[in-house]
Amino acid sequence: MTFFNLTGASLGWEHSRRRAYLAGLLPALVVLGAITLLPALFLLAVSLTPLSLVKPGTAFDFSDPLGNYRELLWDGRFHNSVLLQLHLSTVSVALQLAVGLGVALLLNVRSRFFEAIRAAFLIPMVLPPIVVALIWKILYTPDVSPLYRVLDSVGLPVDSLITDPALAIWAIGVAETWQWFPFTMLMVLATLQLIPDDPLEAARIDGANRWQVFRHITLAYLRPALVVCGLFRLIDSFKAFPLIYVLTNGGPGSATEVTNFYGFIEAFNFSYWGYASAIAVIMLLGVFAVSWLVGRLGWNEVHHD
Amino acid sequence: MTDVLPIPAKPLRARVDVRSSRRPWPLLKGRRIGLHVAALALLLAVLFPFLWMVQMAFRPADDVLGDALLFRPTLENFASLWQGTFPRSFVNSLLVSTLSTATSLALGVPAAYVLSRWCFRARGRVSLWILATRMAPPIAFTIPFFLAYRWVGLQDTVIGLALIYMTFNISIVIWFMQTFFAAIPKALEEAAWIDGCGVWQAFWRVTLPLAAPGLAATAVFCFIFSWNDFFFALILTRTNAITAPVAITNFLQYEGWEWGKIAAGGTLVMLPVLVFTLLVRKYLVRGLTAGGLK
Repeated sequence: MTFFNLTGASLGWEHSRRRAYLAGLLPALVVLGAITLLPALFLLAVSLTPLSLVKPGTAFDFSDPLGNYRELLWDGRFHNSVLLQLHLSTVSVALQLAVGLGVALLLNVRSRFFEAIRAAFLIPMVLPPIVVALIWKILYTPDVSPLYRVLDSVGLPVDSLITDPALAIWAIGVAETWQWFPFTMLMVLATLQLIPDDPLEAARIDGANRWQVFRHITLAYLRPALVVCGLFRLIDSFKAFPLIYVLTNGGPGSATEVTNFYGFIEAFNFSYWGYASAIAVIMLLGVFAVSWLVGRLGWNEVHHD
Repeated sequence: MTDVLPIPAKPLRARVDVRSSRRPWPLLKGRRIGLHVAALALLLAVLFPFLWMVQMAFRPADDVLGDALLFRPTLENFASLWQGTFPRSFVNSLLVSTLSTATSLALGVPAAYVLSRWCFRARGRVSLWILATRMAPPIAFTIPFFLAYRWVGLQDTVIGLALIYMTFNISIVIWFMQTFFAAIPKALEEAAWIDGCGVWQAFWRVTLPLAAPGLAATAVFCFIFSWNDFFFALILTRTNAITAPVAITNFLQYEGWEWGKIAAGGTLVMLPVLVFTLLVRKYLVRGLTAGGLK
């Protein structure tokens, strides 16, 4: 291509090509900017005001810009929500990784039958989140749930999990694990396909037992995929909403009121828009911190080499 | 497939076709059957909650909570859904998802093509920004959109909802299509350029047809993500543009606890998603990590 570039005609072509590229790229960037960057700036601005739609005159009141953030420092309900979020995220991501890994290892057999089974295992993950929430609402409501009736009939009556302040968060964690373990399963299965046979064969000939082969070879190959998988699920777990909304609505009390849900309540129930915006800004920062970690770990390198 | 690989260490096991399994230890016949049974049992246990809701949808109204496995299936619950406002919410869901998918593709596909072909200086920063929008929690967008929609009157409209779905759909399209375009050799377009095609003419006639399977998969993903959304629709719609996922929760709150309708509504809402997912199963790994790739 270099000798083309020397002529005047190809310089003109180069120029018009660049213009054509710009014409293709700009509309998307302009629209994306208008619907993501502008709202983000707007959110930041609102978080610096005490905006509340029920109190007139609070819209452009920048007299105490850091007021909301100062209040967050002393808001016990907010601290509690962050702790709950960490609790829920840790429990559910750890469970998802463990269950997903286990199921993937069990199903890692090449045959038509197992291919069909693997596909069926993906169902929980692709269901609309609201349907997942309804499914678990049915399972967790004592009068409706077949499980409660079975437990009742064998003489082991159990109290409702979602109305027990100590257990509700675990109940949500279990439902979330059910929904998302197929994600880890899918990633692990995809990565297992990339493990060369030679090291496994060599280790076996050298007399390694099953556990040793798994621990030192398979797991070593899987570790990067598991780490990235966990971070992905961690980011998405901050957004979990339908499960909590339908199963517990943040309760009992505030036992399942995670940060996302607390922000939702402050904005849409109490109409404290400025305060809710400050919570959203803090969440954005948290999510970007984890995203940055994903970028540092280089998902592409570990998965596609 | 009839030839048998010799296994030096354990010659007795060589009868089993090792290549049917990637396990370091070939499975003996009894174990193989055991594994099949275990996998099937596990599948049934995992899918039990899901299957239970589906069977509830087909139970007669006076026996919705029954647990006898033998019952006469009926469409009563679906029929009563049909008479209410639910069909309208279903149509709204279809409209919003289609509208948002179409506009996101129209904007995102050319942009993805350019990003896969043109190495300009700010490319890395643009990519990072698009990734960030995929990661951002929905509440961060909902608050400004809700306040702005009150101002411009887009609250509770199909267009308003389709617009906010573009916040995630455009970035999905750009990330997803980029990997497909990158796989298509540049030489093909260059040949078209030399034959006198302009950049976009060559794209339309040569590159895009080659990326058609990827385009179809991307469209399906956008549709599913829009269809599945609950949070945005809950906040930005009331009655006029209410979508099916939000409409179901009305059966939980206002009209008492109508389990039959809830189960039937849930079954209807997930049906298109299950069908579509079967179509794009091959691309599922890529689709779900869209934004994390590259």
